[in-house]
Amino acid sequence: MFLARIGGTVVAAVKHPTLDGCRFLLAQRLEADGSAGLEPIVVVDWLGAGNGAIVLVSTDGDIARTRLGNTTPARMVVVGILDSVQSHASARQE
Amino acid sequence: MRLGIVRGHVTLSPAVAAYRGKTLVVLEPVTMENLNARNGLGGGKSLVAVDELGAAEGQMVAFTEGREAANPFWPDAVPVDAYCTLIVDSINIHAKTVS
Repeated sequence: MFLARIGGTVVAAVKHPTLDGCRFLLAQRLEADGSAGLEPIVVVDWLGAGNGAIVLVSTDGDIARTRLGNTTPARMVVVGILDSVQSHASARQE
Repeated sequence: MRLGIVRGHVTLSPAVAAYRGKTLVVLEPVTMENLNARNGLGGGKSLVAVDELGAAEGQMVAFTEGREAANPFWPDAVPVDAYCTLIVDSINIHAKTVS
C-alpha cells in the first residue's frame, strides 16, 4: 500500500468488460518527503476521491476480484482517503 | 496500473501453448512530465503486454502488472505479467484535458 495524490480522471470507452462502470483516477505516488513519483498511475476508486485528495492505494487485487469477479485485471484500488499523516515530529494536515 | 503508449506488436514462433492466439504489444510507459507536456512521448522503460482490446500503434493504454495481469485468463494458469486493461480516450488533469 502507498499514498498517492489524485491528479485527474481517466476516460476509457474500451476496457476489460469487468471494469464497466468503474471510476478511474490519475494519481501520483508520494514519497516520504512528499515528492511525487515520476510515472503517473491509474487507480480504481469507489470512495469518491476528489482532485488533489491524498489516498491510500492498495496494490492487492483481492478487493477488485471480490467486487468485479475473478477475471478482473484491476489491481490498484483506492482503499481510503487521507485525513492527516503524522510524519516524524510534524503533522501535515491535508 | 501504469500508462503506456503502444509502440509495436510482437509475434512469437514458437511460443508456450498459453500464448497461442494472444496479441502482444510493446508498450512505452508514460512519465508525468510527458503526460503534462502532451508531446506523445513515453519516457519509461519499455515492456511487452498482452492486449485483448485491439490497441493500435500510438494509442495510450493503462496496463496492469503482476499476478493480476493473468486474472483475465482465470482459471487457466498463464505466464502473463502485463495486461492492457483499458484504452485511454482522454485524461483530465486538473483543469486541462490531455487526449
